[in-house]
Amino acid sequence: MHKSWMKRQSRLGYLFIGPNMIGVLLFFIIPAVYSFYLMFTDYKFMSPETNFVGLDNIRRMLNDDLFGVALRNTFVFLLAVPVSMGLAFIVAVALNKSVYWQKTLRALYFMPYITSGVAIAFVWMLLFQPTSGPINGFLRGIGITNPPGWLSTTEWSMYAIDIIWIWFMLGYNMIIYLAALQEIPEELVEAARIDGARPWQTIRQVIWPLVSPTTFLLLITGLIMTIKNFGIIQAITQGGPGNSTTVLSLFIYQNAFRYYEMGYAAAISWALFAIIMVFTVLQWLGQKRWVHY
Amino acid sequence: MESLSQIRKIILTLLMSGFALLMIMPFIWMISTSFKSPADVFTYPIQWIPSSLNWEHHIKVWSGADTFATYYLNSLKISLISTIGAVFLSAFAAYGFARIQFKGRETLFLIYLSMMMVPPQVLFVPKFLMFEWVGIYNTHWALILPGMFTIFGVFMLRQFFLSVPSEISEAAFIDGAGHLRIFFRLILPLAKPALATLAIIDFSWHWNDYENALVFLIDKDLYTVPLGLQNFILENNVDYNGMMAAATAGIIPMIIVFLVGQHYIIQGVAGSAVKG
Repeated sequence: MHKSWMKRQSRLGYLFIGPNMIGVLLFFIIPAVYSFYLMFTDYKFMSPETNFVGLDNIRRMLNDDLFGVALRNTFVFLLAVPVSMGLAFIVAVALNKSVYWQKTLRALYFMPYITSGVAIAFVWMLLFQPTSGPINGFLRGIGITNPPGWLSTTEWSMYAIDIIWIWFMLGYNMIIYLAALQEIPEELVEAARIDGARPWQTIRQVIWPLVSPTTFLLLITGLIMTIKNFGIIQAITQGGPGNSTTVLSLFIYQNAFRYYEMGYAAAISWALFAIIMVFTVLQWLGQKRWVHY
Repeated sequence: MESLSQIRKIILTLLMSGFALLMIMPFIWMISTSFKSPADVFTYPIQWIPSSLNWEHHIKVWSGADTFATYYLNSLKISLISTIGAVFLSAFAAYGFARIQFKGRETLFLIYLSMMMVPPQVLFVPKFLMFEWVGIYNTHWALILPGMFTIFGVFMLRQFFLSVPSEISEAAFIDGAGHLRIFFRLILPLAKPALATLAIIDFSWHWNDYENALVFLIDKDLYTVPLGLQNFILENNVDYNGMMAAATAGIIPMIIVFLVGQHYIIQGVAGSAVKG
């Protein structure tokens, strides 16, 4: 009786999960396995034969100057994450209790995040226009005679992307910080105030340590989110000028769909996976250390 | 004392409003530029209110050979079907993972978890080859079919189903109801807010999805809004007013969705990160 009940449970379990599992198998697991195989081949789209080349793609990647450039650009891109978080924390603390129009203000800060994509990319492209764009117009207005060329120069382009990304992620980080702030017991903040702590002391010594698990979570998930993204960069600069904004994720896309170097692209994409894996392990280890305080 | 904190609150509100205004300045500039005449695009100081309203750029975006109406219809079709499919399929799987004890459940769930780590770039090439082989490359199916499966959705709903007290379904079990009945009659109605949250978040992903469309669509008449926008801007790359009119067209639907579902979106984003 019990055994048949278990069997029935198992069948029902698969009945419920089955439809979704088929899709996950088809669109996630099989492609992932196949991509792993492709990494060891010289597969090029439209070429008649494909050979097993062992570690050639990985060797090529490690000797490819462009891979190094893309890796460095990726790290510059990642700088946006902590900066955006810092600003978001300040905004979240300010919006947590002591302002009017809380809901409206939260919505305004969050707006860039939902309008993600190509549209904002083009708006920023014009805002950053070097000779007559409004941002440089403003900079000249406050006395900077020689403002940066932003997206049109190799020195500044990646930082211009960073600014856009900081702006884009700020609302998201703020919402998560707000959720964390609301979990903080009122008594703790109250106690600090009674002990004579000034607002900034309360923030530094009570609030900031208490939201540190959130800070850690946001940092790691933010890094993962950023490292995967290439849409904004593809839309604005396509990796240029030169290769100054070619980040790893875009580099993979270019190799696969511009040069049709599918095998090589697969190898780089697994390098990207390895980086994400490191962040994920960090997060997993960090959770143990941070989450219960 | 009371009035001092009142003053502090007002000052902080003004400060935060100023900063918020800075945050949405790009949007305001975009909309205002879309109504300007070409000569006024880059005048400085910025003309926030155009001297005369030029509707022609918006008309240009919405008419002609490749019109935004087509892109909208394509995006709407893809986003709606994907979202409905994703919510339903995720709910089913999430119930299985949360409420049914069966062999291999933990292992399967672990595999699901690990798939979240795989960057989309890993999957692009094999999916491209697969779709071409099956014959759905360069069709909307290439976006709709994979779009119906979201691992995030399974996680989010599983979390919610776990939080529903087991007494509720136990009572139904005693009355002789099976899992299917409990799922449809009890759990789904209870989960309406969670389902709505997932639907809105998922819809916004599909609507904004540029990467997949870029990889899997070629024909202009199949383009979604992000691709259509890119196409429009590449073809009119000196018409700044037109660019901004197109950008406005691309953003407006999400702003409407956001205004309607703001509460859900914000709660869903916060909840999924804190619980996840």
